[in-house]
Amino acid sequence: MTMSRARYAWITLVLLVVLAPFAWIAYNSFRPNIELISGPSLLPEVWSLDNYRNLLSSTPFWRWTANTALVAGLTLVFTLPLAVMAAYSIYRTKYWGRDFLGLAVLSVYVFPSALLAVPIFGLFNDIGLIDTHVGLAILNSAFAIPFAVWLLQAFLRSLPPELEEAAAVDGASRIRTISQIVIPQIAPGIFAVAVFAVIVAWTEFLFASVLILSDGKRLLSVGMATLIQGYTVDWGRLTAGAVLTGLPIIVFFTLSARWFVQGISAGAVD
Amino acid sequence: MADIRLNHVTKEFGKVVAVDDISLHVESGEFVVLVGPSGCGKTTSMRMIAGLESVSSGEIQIGGRRVNELSPGDRDIAMVFQNYALYSHFDVRGNLAFALKARKVPREKISARIDKVASLLGLSDVLDRKPRQLSGGQRQRVALGRAIIRDPEAFLMDEPLSNLDAALRLQMRKELIELTRELESTVIFVTHDQTEAMTMGHRLAVMNQGRIQQVGTPDEVYRYPANRFVAGFIGSPPMNFTEGELRQVNGQASVRAWGIDIPVDGTAVDIEARDVLVGVRPEDWDIGPEGFGSRVTVVENLGSESLVYSSNRDETVSFLVSSRLRPQVGEEIRLQPRPGNVHLFDSRNGERLGSPASS
Repeated sequence: MTMSRARYAWITLVLLVVLAPFAWIAYNSFRPNIELISGPSLLPEVWSLDNYRNLLSSTPFWRWTANTALVAGLTLVFTLPLAVMAAYSIYRTKYWGRDFLGLAVLSVYVFPSALLAVPIFGLFNDIGLIDTHVGLAILNSAFAIPFAVWLLQAFLRSLPPELEEAAAVDGASRIRTISQIVIPQIAPGIFAVAVFAVIVAWTEFLFASVLILSDGKRLLSVGMATLIQGYTVDWGRLTAGAVLTGLPIIVFFTLSARWFVQGISAGAVD
Repeated sequence: MADIRLNHVTKEFGKVVAVDDISLHVESGEFVVLVGPSGCGKTTSMRMIAGLESVSSGEIQIGGRRVNELSPGDRDIAMVFQNYALYSHFDVRGNLAFALKARKVPREKISARIDKVASLLGLSDVLDRKPRQLSGGQRQRVALGRAIIRDPEAFLMDEPLSNLDAALRLQMRKELIELTRELESTVIFVTHDQTEAMTMGHRLAVMNQGRIQQVGTPDEVYRYPANRFVAGFIGSPPMNFTEGELRQVNGQASVRAWGIDIPVDGTAVDIEARDVLVGVRPEDWDIGPEGFGSRVTVVENLGSESLVYSSNRDETVSFLVSSRLRPQVGEEIRLQPRPGNVHLFDSRNGERLGSPASS
């Protein structure tokens, strides 16, 4: 089936609206600072890497990136197994109070996170998790897991119960059934959860700014915010930083998504 | 192979009684079909035997051992599911190997068993394929292979042929019969298809509303249905029923139905001018000079035979005739049941009247 011209036009329009701010950030990161302020030309008149050099020499950008990657990795490690086990329990087993539990998990989102910042600061202070990346990752996981559980629901519900029953009759233990039958079957959902968890950790700002105190442990989101000071906004370094911050995520998921889709379609039935 | 015994087994889901006090003994090496309309409790019964549902009351034994409390994996039975339940992320080899790996069978032994089962089922060329790359018949065979590779005490099959198209179903039916005879397997086979029930089982157990209505060989169940439900359920096209009245005519016990007197064996039934339900199968009619008059309304050509519907005022009778002799629509004919082929049922509870051999 070929797409009609109208449909192409419509998609182009939507893409323009959605991508325009990103494009603006991207090409302004290559524009010398002076040009940014003076001339409202669409594309830079002079392409330069000054902003990038400037950013990397004046800030510990790579340190921020490494810190963020560490927190994102830990968040992933905490979130995946807990979310999969919780979702399996809620949506694939039967026990009293199960439905209530499924709803209660989501109630985390009832409270604005800003409201929680103060009590969490106190709590983390008491147990020694202030100013640690592990602490921040635990917090990110706490916010990512409820949504992840909910996200896995659809995948688990679409799994025919006969698969697990067949495994049970085949003599497989519950753990074996989950690890060898259920997890491979819901792999696309787990991938979606992984993407979600990494993005949450990569972009989270509030708790990263409240709980991380030392400069050396600072994360990208907070580090970038330091470029906005008082009445001055350093657009050059800010846009360069935005591009460098977004790039790893985009590259990583573009590559892994392609690999992943192949993985799914090779195994799917019907 | 082992025998399976159900002793007064009941399953309740809340207030709903899905299976109501059923008892059944399946001999070792016997192929028994549980047949009945949907919701009759046949699948629930099978799932209790497999251990996928708990038993509310009663006892299930496999090979003389009580299994009520055993998990499915410890009962040493294999199950074939209606939708095959193949592990779609494994290839055929992985599907066949799964149960053996779960039971920690040594690797060399697993691969020898896979080769044997694959050649038995004609799967040797597709061992490296994923289930989605297989035809319907091949998937069905993989599901079977996954069951037989373990050499279990018994097989439970839940409508395994119903996802196949008609031609393939016939072929798989034959293969399945041959295979289970060859392996001398104990099989419990669930179906709602009465043709499968009649052709596949040594015996069948007809179920309705959670109860077993009759257990017997296909012949017994067909020729001497225990009650009105079984009479109507087994046999296609279904039996004709009408209300009748037992009485003596010239010293001969007979039943008045369709406006004529049909002789019956008086020693077998209690002639107390009782209202009864009279049943005659479509193949048990004679067209001739005798009998009640009716007009042909529909003729369905089935090939060698034709199914004819014929009505007089308010009653319609269906019967089978050789297509060479089939009447025309609108034709006036006279019909009477063949002697000895009239089934009588108590009109109050539907139970068969008279001993099996008498009617």
